Amino acid sequence: MSEAAESPVKIVLVYQSLLGIYGDQGNAKILKKRLDWRGIPAEVLMIEPGEPLPSDGAVYLLGGGEDNAQTTAVRELKRDGHLFEALADGAVLFAVCAGYQICGKTFTIGENDEVREGLGVLDVTTVRGPERAVGEILTRWEHPDGTSTLISGFENHGGWTTLGPGARPLARVEVGIGNANDGTEGAVQGKVVGTYPHGPVLARNPELADHLLTLALGRELEPLPDVQAEHDALRAERAAFVRR
Amino acid sequence: MTELSRRATPARLGLAQRARLRAATLAGDAAALVSRALGKGSGASIRGQLLTRLDPNAFRELVKGRRIMSVTGTNGKTTTTHLLAAAVRTALGEEAGRCVTNADGANLHYGIASALAKARKADLAVIETDERVVKDMIAHGRPEVLVLLNFSRDQLDRNHEIKFLGRAWRQALEAAGPDGPVVIANSDDPLVTWAAEKAHRVVWVDTASTWSADAAMCPQCGAMLDRTDPSEDAPTGRWNCPECDLTEHEASYAVHGPLIELPDGRRVDPKLNVPGKFNISNAACALAAAAQWGIDPDVALVGFRTVSAPAGRFSTATIAGATVRLVLSKNPAGWAESLPLVQTDPVILAIDSVAADGKDVSWLWDVDFEQLRGRHVICSGPRAYDLAVRLSYAEVDHRVLVDLEDALRAVASGPQPVDIVATYTPFQKLLKMGGLR
Ligand SMILES: [Zn+2]
Repeated sequence: MSEAAESPVKIVLVYQSLLGIYGDQGNAKILKKRLDWRGIPAEVLMIEPGEPLPSDGAVYLLGGGEDNAQTTAVRELKRDGHLFEALADGAVLFAVCAGYQICGKTFTIGENDEVREGLGVLDVTTVRGPERAVGEILTRWEHPDGTSTLISGFENHGGWTTLGPGARPLARVEVGIGNANDGTEGAVQGKVVGTYPHGPVLARNPELADHLLTLALGRELEPLPDVQAEHDALRAERAAFVRR
Repeated sequence: MTELSRRATPARLGLAQRARLRAATLAGDAAALVSRALGKGSGASIRGQLLTRLDPNAFRELVKGRRIMSVTGTNGKTTTTHLLAAAVRTALGEEAGRCVTNADGANLHYGIASALAKARKADLAVIETDERVVKDMIAHGRPEVLVLLNFSRDQLDRNHEIKFLGRAWRQALEAAGPDGPVVIANSDDPLVTWAAEKAHRVVWVDTASTWSADAAMCPQCGAMLDRTDPSEDAPTGRWNCPECDLTEHEASYAVHGPLIELPDGRRVDPKLNVPGKFNISNAACALAAAAQWGIDPDVALVGFRTVSAPAGRFSTATIAGATVRLVLSKNPAGWAESLPLVQTDPVILAIDSVAADGKDVSWLWDVDFEQLRGRHVICSGPRAYDLAVRLSYAEVDHRVLVDLEDALRAVASGPQPVDIVATYTPFQKLLKMGGLR
């Protein structure tokens, strides 16, 4: 093995104190453990505002937060700049809920719908919707080969998101609101993946976790049958709950 | 005792108002009696619901004409209310009946109305108050003292922004002006500080709290707060806003490990009969509140020590053949406090997600379950599978028994008591199964 291959895969958890109110650090724990169990060295870097982000991360994670936290996070990430360098170098960005919104071109905050500029790494815009989307969500994630996987989660967002031509939806909504009650959920553009369900979403959707790791590492990963049985039990219970 | 001996001025209600309130109270009592006879619990909530339906002004009318201390915050309000009520009753001695409290933890409008309706003669009230009811309590109850314990993420499916509640408190205190309560405020908590600053008088309590995950940003201006390095007396550091004037206040009462420092510099050992560091913090706030009614700290402490299982918390019961200790945890800050208290092997964790628990269990990933490594956990309750996945990633040995009775039976033949930590709904079920309510 070359030296480069042995250096740990960096999972960068961005600004937990601002964007981490929905257990979002769980996504980092899950990605790291799934690499550990496969014998692939990995580390989680928790970066807070004011500290420089690494530019050599494999996966960057953005989570959920309140309005003011979104504005602060965008300002800090733009000032830091390393996230954009990493994305240009082929890193994966997985952004959830408020984190998904700030990846877009614009989003609004507060009762007066003040428009804020986002990071501009997803061709989406977010405005306040006619109602808040709160509850269990079930979507179908369609793969290029024609197969599909259910994505199960919990959504809680006041913003409704519209996709531009540069992004395509991550999944189709079966139950829930998703992007804007228009049948679509999430957005994908290159290696940037945005989605509303938190939960944290990877705990209920190990296939999505492995998809992100595969994108980051550029290779397929072996299955993890032990923990898969438990994920399957949880997924079955949740799917039955939302469909009843 | 001079401050305590001062009687409240009785409320003046019109004849029609009084008749309506009396009829509603009687109907509520009857419904509670039926509920008890059917074995459906104490009936407190049914009494309150019927009472407030028949007399929508019941809350307003019943809080009038009393001298009130109100206790609120995300975590610790039930225990703090019990401690404070015990201190007041101890100080009252033979007149203990003058003080009413909502001991069962029913802290919404109807729960408070229910408790007060049962004690029309009591002119002193120590009232646990839900965060959402604080505004009305200040406006209608005119409490003399308001204890603001803390603010942390809780049921985000319902309270989308915790700052929203802080703003409501702040506005209510501002509106009350000089007639408003003396506020006992946790100086460690920036959102509590921001809300309390509008009170005409504040007594600050340094609670040495360990949870700061919900206090990264200044509630006043949105800047990132500066924090000093953590120390034993300040586990999350001292905080200050670099952009505006919001800052941590010098406190009159302070928690130092197991001791509480009083304004005169004396340090007392509360020797509580409820476990955990967070209850030392609750006791410090209760001491500061009791002092507002002239209760000597030593007398208050005697009262505190009579409290051992407030509303069933930390109580021991035998259920389905197993002897268990019941611990309630409602949110990540609560779990951070309670998990270190659980020392048994195995341990049962029971999770539900109906409205009273919060429908979203994402908080499971904010709790450090890794500390249970080396022990066996039984995952129970309707959301046991979410917990099981969480524990797999924490590398904690576990199994799933969704049904609570199955979980209890599974530990009945081993060493006991076994600790159970539960969210709100399974906790209430366990109290009922154990005959504790
Ligand atoms: Zn500030």
